[in-house]
Amino acid sequence: MFLEFVEGPLWYASVVIFLVGIAIRFYEILARGVKPDLAVPRTDGTAGALRTIVSRSWTAKGFSSGAVFHLVAGYMFHIGLFVLLFFAAPHIVFIEERILGFGWTAAPHWVFITAANLAFAGLILLWLRRVMHPVMRKISTFDDHAAAWLTFIVMFTGCMALLEGHDFLRALHMLSVCVLMIYFPFSRLMHAFTFVLSRGYTGAVMGRKGVQA
Amino acid sequence: MTHLQPDQKRQRYRRGLRWAMALLAFVLIVPLIPYGFVAAEGTLGSNSADMWRDARNKTQRDAFRTQIQGIETAVLINNRGEQWRTFREKQLVPYGGYLLLGTFGLITAFFLFRGRIKIEGGRSGKLVPRFSSNQRIMHWFAAGLFVLLGVTGLILLYGRHVLIPLLGPEGFAITASASKEVHNLFGPIFPFAIIALMLMFGRGNTFRLLDFKWFLKAGGLFGGHAADSGYYNGGQKSWFWMTVLFGIAISVSGLVLDFPVFGQTRELMAGAHLVHGIIAVVFIAASLGHIYIGTLGMEGAVESMTSGYVDSNWAAEHHNLWYQEMEQAGMVGVEPNALEEVKRHDDIDFKGFGQPNPQTKEG
Amino acid sequence: MAKVVTEHDYARGVEVLRNQIDAKIASYLSSCVGCGLCAEACLFYTETGDARYTPIYKVEPMRRLWHREQTVAGKLAKAFGFGRDLTEEDFAEWQEMTYDSCTLCGRCSMVCPVGNDIAYMIRKQREAFSAAGYSPPGLQGASQRALEIGSPMGVTWKALSAQIGHVERATGLTIPVDVQGADYMTLFSSMEIMNFPEYIEAVARIFDAAGVSWTVSSKAFEATNSGIQIGSSEIARELVSRVVDAAEGLGCKHVISPECGHAYTAIRWDGPNLIGRPYEFEVVHILELLDQLRQQGRLETEGFDERNLTFHDPCQIVRRGGVEEPPRNLLNMVAPNFKEMPDHGKMNWCCGGGGGLSANEEAHDLRTTVFKVKKRQLEATGVETMITACANCRIVMEEALEHYEMPVVIEGVTELLAAHLKPKAGKTETAATE
Repeated sequence: MFLEFVEGPLWYASVVIFLVGIAIRFYEILARGVKPDLAVPRTDGTAGALRTIVSRSWTAKGFSSGAVFHLVAGYMFHIGLFVLLFFAAPHIVFIEERILGFGWTAAPHWVFITAANLAFAGLILLWLRRVMHPVMRKISTFDDHAAAWLTFIVMFTGCMALLEGHDFLRALHMLSVCVLMIYFPFSRLMHAFTFVLSRGYTGAVMGRKGVQA
Repeated sequence: MTHLQPDQKRQRYRRGLRWAMALLAFVLIVPLIPYGFVAAEGTLGSNSADMWRDARNKTQRDAFRTQIQGIETAVLINNRGEQWRTFREKQLVPYGGYLLLGTFGLITAFFLFRGRIKIEGGRSGKLVPRFSSNQRIMHWFAAGLFVLLGVTGLILLYGRHVLIPLLGPEGFAITASASKEVHNLFGPIFPFAIIALMLMFGRGNTFRLLDFKWFLKAGGLFGGHAADSGYYNGGQKSWFWMTVLFGIAISVSGLVLDFPVFGQTRELMAGAHLVHGIIAVVFIAASLGHIYIGTLGMEGAVESMTSGYVDSNWAAEHHNLWYQEMEQAGMVGVEPNALEEVKRHDDIDFKGFGQPNPQTKEG
Repeated sequence: MAKVVTEHDYARGVEVLRNQIDAKIASYLSSCVGCGLCAEACLFYTETGDARYTPIYKVEPMRRLWHREQTVAGKLAKAFGFGRDLTEEDFAEWQEMTYDSCTLCGRCSMVCPVGNDIAYMIRKQREAFSAAGYSPPGLQGASQRALEIGSPMGVTWKALSAQIGHVERATGLTIPVDVQGADYMTLFSSMEIMNFPEYIEAVARIFDAAGVSWTVSSKAFEATNSGIQIGSSEIARELVSRVVDAAEGLGCKHVISPECGHAYTAIRWDGPNLIGRPYEFEVVHILELLDQLRQQGRLETEGFDERNLTFHDPCQIVRRGGVEEPPRNLLNMVAPNFKEMPDHGKMNWCCGGGGGLSANEEAHDLRTTVFKVKKRQLEATGVETMITACANCRIVMEEALEHYEMPVVIEGVTELLAAHLKPKAGKTETAATE
């Protein structure tokens, strides 16, 4: 009963809230508008925007200790999670049956284990820095902590259900996924999509000034 | 062809019948002959006992051949498995349980007897930087993993005895399945946490003469002044080395168990399990002491690992030699800020800890 | 005329703050994940360890307002009685973070992993704080003087005339004033006029040798834009308009922005957006112009300055302005022992005096503290001469060098070139400044 509800009506509701929520967030941002820049550009703004969208994926010149930490733990988490999400066998089955209608080859087991370990270790280390380092302590909001814990719970319940032998554990995982999807558009997790805008805007301005940023 | 008289027909019929009866009797009786021997002698013969003993893998390991390829597929009966199972159920589980409950009881008794060790003279309100944010991050990373792995591990060892009465067989099945998956997935991260702890906390953790003096005074646990202590006291150093040794052993045995695809024999797996289980129980028991004294047991301790700063009175009382060095370096009564993270390691020479500082009066 | 607000009016501040949030800022606030890497790029944090100087924390009032009023989560929280609105105490508390501990140097904007231009956000927050009267009295005074007298330091045309007179006597040249149809109308910053008049002489001699058609306007000679520093677009617009009107009135094809950081930002990048239309002239920085003259062969030098010297990149000219190569091309003409400092170029560390901090008495001690990063850069480079292209950087750093008792001497790029100017053929060499 629990599993049917979570994989049925709740799943559909969360998908709708997720997609519509993201669209609304984008609209809310873009509707504020940007005044056109009347100053004569030195070089092209679009090229600058594209450049910065890519360049900020690595640290600026000079590796401060925080930059190294975030670079290593950050990519451990993000890449690990990406591999888990799209290349774990149960996920591909779900995507094939419930979303796309087609799937692809799953990652070999050792890849899955490595990705999971990296993702967990990265996420835990990042959250611990958030509560231990004075700067992150100062600027973190409730949202930051909730997002980290929700993500952890999704991953953790997924781990618990790995044997795929108990409906209850599967339902728990699906429930946490739905909660995360409902929470997503209202939180800082939106950075996953809005980073293109923020990097792009700054890149455009700097590009027009002739600075490679 | 000659016609047979009615007499001759009857003769042939009787002869055929006699042959059939004889054949039937033969077929029925002959297989019973060995049983006759058995009934007469009492055994299947002196050869068969040896044969079964061999089959129990006691003498000839590779006595049998099989078409199935793999590790120890030619083993018919694994006698050691029974030994292992007996050890686990009859010794590891109960004695481990006594150790854990006993440790918990001892600590409770100590708390009731001594209470929370307060800071003598109260807090001064002045802060001394003790652990950097990277150190604290790594400590809680390892601690979190330890608790998670410890709890799931204990469920795997004791769950059947403790949880089935509470959760019922269905509930326990779910719990055990989840625990096994979590334990096996998070396990491989633990060795990295141990390595990180060794790197971040190694400096200052070698034993010196004053640590043995500290032990003789039981570190002031039973009253009286604590003995001289540097950045780490004897108890902390013991815990550090326990963590390193137990941590390495549990990680290696854990990895052997978690990835049985590298040609491990049953014997190796059983041995690894025993190492893993025994050390786990001892490790957890010891950790109870560390957790107790770092939180409830001693006022002023836990903040060293949460905020990174300690009260100067606490430092002077429990790590007097380190406190003196910090005082000389002007690091007592500082405002909490991120710069102390650098000064803690760069400007203060930790190598001198444990030796009387030539610049102090004791020197 | 634009007004400098000196009375506290935080309600007005909240209203103005609300209007500053454009799509850029909304995307920045949506994308920020609170990683704190901006702090490690900011000299106010690295030299004090004070987490309040984390750049994104400086715009916390803006973030709170945006979240509460412009996001579903914030609006829901407000409806259910969670969270709190901005108060007057917030404005009072954040004045230090908005003004005293930020030079708008933009280093934070270069390192943010999601690409936030935090300096831009702080600039916009200053619109609200200046409108609410929560700005440093020193900046208020500077803006007032700029509006009434024409210069934040109270330099009148008379004073400039006097300096021009000195220069004319020293060089034997005539400095063209209010010349209709000159190619280039140049600006001067008050700091240059008062403290480094050798710049005026250098410019005069170089333009004469290179045959540049130029002039100064008696109506609008001031380059410094106090409006940019206090963060009032109204004030900035009025000050820029004076320059635009004068240049277009004289029919000049170009306006030269001198050795002053924020002046370049004001006239080159902000100006057209402030007045709402493109200029009828082009803006060129003096370094860009000199580099162009070098390329055209019109700027010829002789002899070398053998001193070991380095270059300090003024933030508004290099990182926020885009003029990174020209000063190096120019220095390489005369300085064979030019050594770059660590983190040189667009990631160089701020002198600590920009963004109005040099006019802000309350920020004096903090300014001196954060100079330690520049001190370390100089010690690592091992030179005793530092060249720069901003009079404000220069004065602030000279003061700090004295405080730290460092034997480093600062000079300007233009002045250094003029000292090695090859005289025009047929002309005797006039007295060069040392």
